[in-house]
Amino acid sequence: MQSWRIREPVMWLCEFITGNRKTYGMNLIGGVRRDITRKQSSKILEVVEKIEAQLNEVIHAVVDDTTLHLRLKNVGILSKENARQLCSVGPTARGSGVAVDCRINHPYAAYREVPPRLITMQDGDIWARTVVRLEETLESIKVVRRALDQMPAGEIMAEVREIPPWREGVAYVEAPRGECMHYVMTGPDNRPYRWRVRAPSYANLQAIPVMLRHNSIADAPIIIGSIDPCFSCTERFEVVDVKSQQVKVYTQQELLALSNKYKRCSKAN
Amino acid sequence: MLKSKLKEALICFKNLRVTLPYPFQPAPPPEGYRGRVEVDVAKCIGCGACAMACPPRLINISDVDGRRVIDFRLGRCTYCARCADVCPVKAIVMSGEFELATDDKADLELTIELLMVKCEQCDRPFTTQRIRDKLICEVSKGLAIEAGDVKWLNLCPNCRVVVEVEKISGTGA
Repeated sequence: MQSWRIREPVMWLCEFITGNRKTYGMNLIGGVRRDITRKQSSKILEVVEKIEAQLNEVIHAVVDDTTLHLRLKNVGILSKENARQLCSVGPTARGSGVAVDCRINHPYAAYREVPPRLITMQDGDIWARTVVRLEETLESIKVVRRALDQMPAGEIMAEVREIPPWREGVAYVEAPRGECMHYVMTGPDNRPYRWRVRAPSYANLQAIPVMLRHNSIADAPIIIGSIDPCFSCTERFEVVDVKSQQVKVYTQQELLALSNKYKRCSKAN
Repeated sequence: MLKSKLKEALICFKNLRVTLPYPFQPAPPPEGYRGRVEVDVAKCIGCGACAMACPPRLINISDVDGRRVIDFRLGRCTYCARCADVCPVKAIVMSGEFELATDDKADLELTIELLMVKCEQCDRPFTTQRIRDKLICEVSKGLAIEAGDVKWLNLCPNCRVVVEVEKISGTGA
């Protein structure tokens, strides 16, 4: 609960800089849409300093809490070999001692100039992943400070007129949960024709069966929670008839019909 | 063990209540917030730049019976503000309004109808009156000519070509 309290000023900050809490809408082909003003940058530093102090307070209180150690250590273990084989990404992999981080492995944007420190833990249990996340938050604060300090002045947007259709692009970025891949194919009228995202939760969910093995049911929620899953990011499901083992694939029309059916039910009630 | 518990308790007591009394007290968004799209109908000229730029394609433009109909279905809006960026007459602004939950789709729909001009030669509507008026104003300003000289602005693009070709071939002969 305390970490939500510390997080909220960051959300307000995002709202202040970009115009929205979550859907920032900052990147456009050619650059970014809003510049960071002097007023904004001093506000960022102010908020960042506050959350750093508050976060340190919480970390110092939590790291020695033996109740948490009993609950989180040696639970949901993902070995280094398994993390590699299952292609885990982000804190899930780094908690198992796999040193993967897009920002360091293949730096994009300005990460070559402001590289973060790679944080890994060897144990591969829930506690290890938690500690990795906590320390990375502090590391991110340092990156924000250095980036603001070293940010050059100048144009923020280059003019791009026509975008040729049927070209492809792939980009990898390190999201908080791990490597996030976006693929795009351009179409006519300066619009994308196909866009495919592989969010980190999809890669990390593959490790869940291994983590759950030999643990009690009561451990399942915290094990699943420890990869910080985003289920909407995984966005794939199969309907399997258990008796006949048949897989059904729904078409768009069928899904629409289902949702309309549900909508009518809720109206009638 | 006890020390960390005490530290945790201290943090909790130091920050007793942090939730805001939001629904009972307004929570105004910061400056530059991208809320509900607001369209100034009096300013809109019906050029269609917003429809071209809109990523979820919620702005639909169609020409019906000598009127240009601009249809906003804001239920699909992603609040990216691209329409506001590209609007040449600044008719679209992003308001600070964010409480948009509704059980009636019509609350999030907006339709603008603008009268169109008919081509003086072929009698087909080709652009809105407001675009034509703006062009007459801008063109005479830019080229320093009398407003009466820009008659071809009342012709549709097809007839303009025909008229110009006739003019050129007429002078050439």
